[in-house]
Amino acid sequence: MQTSLPPSASSSGKPEMKEHCNHSADCLKMIQLILDGEATDQQLVRVKANLESCRPCIEMYQLEKEVKELLTKRMEKRCCPEQLVATIKSRILSFS
Amino acid sequence: MATIPEVMSDTPTRDDDQLLPDSDPTEQPSADTPARGYSDAQKYQIFNKEFMPHIDSMYNFAFRLTTDEDDANDLVQDTYLKAFRFISSFEQGTNAKAWLFRILKNSFINDYRKKSKEPAKVDYQDVETTYNSEDAESEHTVDLRAESVSDLIGDEVATALNSLPVDFRTVIILCDIEGFTYEEMAKILDIPIGTVRSRLHRARNLLKEKLRDYASSMGYKEENEE
Repeated sequence: MQTSLPPSASSSGKPEMKEHCNHSADCLKMIQLILDGEATDQQLVRVKANLESCRPCIEMYQLEKEVKELLTKRMEKRCCPEQLVATIKSRILSFS
Repeated sequence: MATIPEVMSDTPTRDDDQLLPDSDPTEQPSADTPARGYSDAQKYQIFNKEFMPHIDSMYNFAFRLTTDEDDANDLVQDTYLKAFRFISSFEQGTNAKAWLFRILKNSFINDYRKKSKEPAKVDYQDVETTYNSEDAESEHTVDLRAESVSDLIGDEVATALNSLPVDFRTVIILCDIEGFTYEEMAKILDIPIGTVRSRLHRARNLLKEKLRDYASSMGYKEENEE
């Protein structure tokens, strides 16, 4: 049988995939807590369940994750100029 | 064997107490924190082993705040000198990075924000009001797809981030770039955790709006290809 549903939704007993989320603002806050590693176990369980059955929430999750990764991985990390390190060290030595 | 730090007679001057992390002029050193009197050797050891390893992160933070290399240099230097002067209020082995970030952020607010080339005119009030409203909270999910931002390059993300008011920019830097916990951020910024959470939420919505502008400016290409 052909199906366009993602594998997770096709197995029996799973709830149907929701195409619309009525509390996306709250879901978004939860999703951010999870990605920040700040969610409680209880919140984690709730959101996990939601992420298996709510398409808008899955998309929100992917977007939040992508944006966070842009910030962590794609932003240029500068090193502190060596001159500055040297200046600080010599200024400190003259303190005591 | 534990070494008992000798009590220093030359306690630092307390002329800028308000800049000190966790400083409370009335606070007495408690029994379990014999910290306050480090010897010179200990001071240098703490400085080199616990403070200096964070210098790249500190420089990045300073650069993201000031968006200027010279200002970032000055800010980092001032912060480290301050950290050394007040090293006796740092408890060895505790969170040095958060302690340093807090000094840097306070120095930025007190010294640099005023004379910033691109004055952070506190339109923050406006933004805060706008985003505090019930409407903004409930209906504000930015219409943007993960695939549309995945092609953005670092420069575009940086420009989008830099265009945010500084208080919003700060929470994103601390959380997403530096990986501080909400609790650490609350201490660094002197705000309650609830405020950290909501400010971060608003900051990300603003950032996504900026990213959407970039994404849609290159979006026509993707649509034609499909």
